[in-house]
Amino acid sequence: MPGGNNSPVSQVWQPVPGAPGAQHYPLIRKIDTISSNSYLIQTGDVILLIDPGGLSEQSAQLAQVIEECREAQDRPVFVFLTHAHLDHFQGAQNTPAFAHAEAAVFAVQEAGAAALERGDAKMTQAALLGQTISPVRVGLPLLTDDRAGSCGVPVSMAFSNGATVTITRQQTGGGLAGEKIGFGNGPALDVYHTPGHSPDSICLLVGGLLFIGDVLFAANPGIAGICGWDQAALIRSLDGIKSLLDRGGIDFVLPGHGRAIAAADAGRMIAAIRSDALALENIAELNQERAIETAAFAEECMEQVNELFTIMAGRLYYVSYVMEELGEEDVAEEVSRLIKGDVIDELLEAFRSFAEEHHKGGRVSIHLALKAGQVIAKLERSFDGAELAHIIDPALARRAARLLSDYTTMLRGFCPPRELVECDLVRHLEALVTGLSVPACSDDDLLSSDDDDSTFTRLLLTRIGMQPLLADIAFTFSAAEKQLKVAVDHDDLTDLVTYILEDLVGTGADAITLQVQRDDKDAIITLTGTGCTASDAMKTSRGFLARLCDRAGGALSCSTDERKREYTIRIDRII
Amino acid sequence: MEITTATRDGATILSIAGRIDTATAPALEQAINKEIENGNRMILLNFSAVTYISSGGLRVLLATAKKLKNPGDKYALCSLAAEVHKILKLAGFTSIFSIYPSEGEALAGW
Repeated sequence: MPGGNNSPVSQVWQPVPGAPGAQHYPLIRKIDTISSNSYLIQTGDVILLIDPGGLSEQSAQLAQVIEECREAQDRPVFVFLTHAHLDHFQGAQNTPAFAHAEAAVFAVQEAGAAALERGDAKMTQAALLGQTISPVRVGLPLLTDDRAGSCGVPVSMAFSNGATVTITRQQTGGGLAGEKIGFGNGPALDVYHTPGHSPDSICLLVGGLLFIGDVLFAANPGIAGICGWDQAALIRSLDGIKSLLDRGGIDFVLPGHGRAIAAADAGRMIAAIRSDALALENIAELNQERAIETAAFAEECMEQVNELFTIMAGRLYYVSYVMEELGEEDVAEEVSRLIKGDVIDELLEAFRSFAEEHHKGGRVSIHLALKAGQVIAKLERSFDGAELAHIIDPALARRAARLLSDYTTMLRGFCPPRELVECDLVRHLEALVTGLSVPACSDDDLLSSDDDDSTFTRLLLTRIGMQPLLADIAFTFSAAEKQLKVAVDHDDLTDLVTYILEDLVGTGADAITLQVQRDDKDAIITLTGTGCTASDAMKTSRGFLARLCDRAGGALSCSTDERKREYTIRIDRII
Repeated sequence: MEITTATRDGATILSIAGRIDTATAPALEQAINKEIENGNRMILLNFSAVTYISSGGLRVLLATAKKLKNPGDKYALCSLAAEVHKILKLAGFTSIFSIYPSEGEALAGW
């Protein structure tokens, strides 16, 4: 897997820049949450394996490469973990070549070493992934408290694999605690404590290669907030790593997941991650319970996203079709290009297949939540709501954008904000349904623009694209009182009522009534559609609507009988 | 997705079962085109077993509408599930071609 000019190449032995006599063998995987990259280093004195990965076959492959090296020249083997998360080491537990202390000595920062020795399911993220973990013996705890007081004093240690190493505690200019580990006459290994992603995270430096673990992902949604995550420590570590990079002498940064990164690029990435991390104050812990909740929201959310994007794409195709009928082929072509329907279809299809496999295989929720996060990030890049706003109902694009953003917010560990403000329900709903009943572009607007071609075309597109939802429906609005003030989230209530009206219109209602009234405790909004077609599949979207209603500050119920569907929203905060 | 073709009252009825998505939309387009090339210009798509339609599927429906607009051509959909009807209605497609509750009602309308 070539990664650019002189960039390290996967699964090939190659010289370590700046470390004469040392070679490295990166095993760079496609990014996933199951297993990390692995890196082998050999000198005349020792063989080092950094992160054996989460898969047994990966560890077995590495064991084979190590075996070949030892056949050429027998040397002791050390297994360093950039941190003790399951995806970085679990594969080694099932690989005999690593499972015995005599065969390979594990070297892990002190906090991670303790977690591994006691088989800590939370710190290793086994609990989040719904797995158990067997204790791991760590022969070489790194950056220990007892060596902290003897900075600059070399300590010699002998190991079961026959190696003798020299460890010297040091403090870097960037404020990172470090240790220099010598394995003989060859190049030494510098270890730096870089907590934040986890308490035991370390970076390892050999020659011009900095092995950085998962620090580059530490501010990502679905990763920030995991057990052991620490915002303040992460920011300090990022500053320390930036100092190391600024000091010079580093050619490439080798992350726990993904390709090698040139040092200059890594510096820019660190600055961006620092800025992301600064915004992550007070996020909720990402534990199994939150992963399950997030995954459930992911599925509901993706179903709605799927529907909204299909409708938006369909609207544009419709406008394009009509323009073509009118002989405006160029405009038709332009309109059909405004949304990347194929890309969106493929993304949504990929999520659906993943979710299907996920349910069949009984996999853990965090994987589904993270997959939804990836798809949503790509969807956000694939459409421009502002560009579509003059052709299709801006409320569609706005709701799609809000769904995507709400999901990312939730995955990040924040609750999507709920702003309960005073609202006169009667006036608010009357204005909403009026907006949904009249064309966005009136006859007068269209007629008055006929002297200017571009304005006329623009208004024509609006006229064709934004057909009022309630235009062909027998719609009745009634309110028992002239005014009914409640505390609600204005935007969420607007979206909720719009979703419900779309559901009724879309499933064939020929008449809809919207009633606003109150009883002793609650303000009650009742939306009734007659002539609707019933469907079991739409029950899932009712879960989504119920959640949206809760966020709006109300409670939703729905009843269906023969060709009639009724939604009731009860709001108990009457002002 | 599976497509079954039948002829009734002079119309060609394509009954589609399953999902019309990125992977299956081209097969639907091919099946419809084959009928049009054979001179069958009264096409009814029976959607009673269609569980999902993507934007790729919508494109196929529009492409067919463009091909069947000569005098005497007929093109309609029937028996849509609620969720598929919703997509077509909100996308504006119901003003391009007719949608009927059943095969019988569609053919009676022709």
